[in-house]
Amino acid sequence: MGEVIVVTSGKGGVGKTTTSANIGTGLAAAGHKVVLVDTDIGLRNLDVVMGLENRIVYDLVDVTSGNCRLKQALIKDKRFENLFLLPAAQTKDKSAVSPEQMKTLAAELKEEFDFAIIDCPAGIEQGFRNAIAGADRAIVVCTPEVSAVRDADRIIGLLEAAELRNPKLIINRIRPEMVKRGDMMDISDILDILAIELIGVVPEDESIVISTNRGEPAVMDQGSKAGEAYRRITRRIKGEEVALMNLDVPLGIMDKLKRLVGIR
Amino acid sequence: MTRTEHVALKGTREGLVIYFDPTADFELLMNELDKLLKNSVQFLQGATVRCYAGKKEYAEDEHVMLATVLSQHQLELAGWLTTEEVYVPGQTKSYATENKETRLWDEGMVEGSCLFVERTLRSGKSVEYEGHVIVLGDVNPGAEIIATGNIVVLGSLRGVAHAGATGERKASVSAYHLAPTQLRIADLVTRAPDEEAGGRGPEIARIKDDQLVVEAASMNGWRSKAR
Repeated sequence: MGEVIVVTSGKGGVGKTTTSANIGTGLAAAGHKVVLVDTDIGLRNLDVVMGLENRIVYDLVDVTSGNCRLKQALIKDKRFENLFLLPAAQTKDKSAVSPEQMKTLAAELKEEFDFAIIDCPAGIEQGFRNAIAGADRAIVVCTPEVSAVRDADRIIGLLEAAELRNPKLIINRIRPEMVKRGDMMDISDILDILAIELIGVVPEDESIVISTNRGEPAVMDQGSKAGEAYRRITRRIKGEEVALMNLDVPLGIMDKLKRLVGIR
Repeated sequence: MTRTEHVALKGTREGLVIYFDPTADFELLMNELDKLLKNSVQFLQGATVRCYAGKKEYAEDEHVMLATVLSQHQLELAGWLTTEEVYVPGQTKSYATENKETRLWDEGMVEGSCLFVERTLRSGKSVEYEGHVIVLGDVNPGAEIIATGNIVVLGSLRGVAHAGATGERKASVSAYHLAPTQLRIADLVTRAPDEEAGGRGPEIARIKDDQLVVEAASMNGWRSKAR
């Protein structure tokens, strides 16, 4: 029996799709059977980030409305035999799927896969409700900006209301040198407000832009800092005890990071 | 207490009470009541109110008119109070000679119904309550609490808090870490200073001389007041 994990944030542009692609690829690289589900109907991106856009025949809406079988809509990844993508429909909108249909789909995916990673659309409306409907766990992605933290807080409240307890937090696009100068919210500021378990800090990294454009998740790039962060997150999702990444800024923030890990 | 010349609106332990000046003309009363309710806080909507006008009795059609005015503001007339049950608005001057503690007691700011919120209020969450609200957790930015009584937060208050929302100027807001987006007591509104002074202890905000004042919640002070 597999596990369904939804990746959500509330605010757009914080890195939900990038995170989904990297976690999914990371778990597949570790030998698990993984499916990535894009629930951003009408604004699909995950297929592009995975470099699988030109292989789409059927999509999520075709599956939920019974136009095709689940197996027909699943696209096998270029690199990993055990990684699949269920793309969103581009020509429909969020109302084309209902939370009940997503629950049914999630149950079906759990039979087949070790992990189903659901990429949630931005916002708190139907798309969000669809994405979380069948999820067992939630990962909240947040950037070190006041607006992103505010939205993440709202999302955590909504997740708790939907009985998705103990969501985990990923802080994305952090710039250690800006934090050190005091120009960016630091990790403890964010945790003060959100008060949930942190499972990863991903530094801002140009290689993400490159890998996204190429359709090859950064988690496979051994030289990428963000890739390293995602590899650690992947291991934490599997339940391993891994230290947060050394963000390579002398003292100060390092001490804080160590303290955070200690607190957990 | 919110009031005009001949009409007063007050939140008590037993709910909202509207006081009418028994000597005033009924039509004038209705005009003032309408104005008063228009200016009052929105969240009164849906509440039931009781009225008091001394020994004065109103005719059947006047009752109907009163109920109509109230229902226009989504309020429901629950009945009338007798002289024994209330203070007469014309005698409010006698407050000055009363014991301070008795006064607080009567206005429901020392005791009364309480709502315990046993979790953190996150952005988007709103709690409205007729009485005191105690939060065992934080109140995050984007969340709000509106209470007719006091508000106590055993954590960080970073959202919006409105105590004494029916106009009780004796109400207070206290928190372990008081840094609200906006703080309201009765009809006064303030916002936190732009630069935050860190590392303060528990604080309490209340109205002093028409000003919202925030001061350290000294536990000695609290104890002496309770006696």
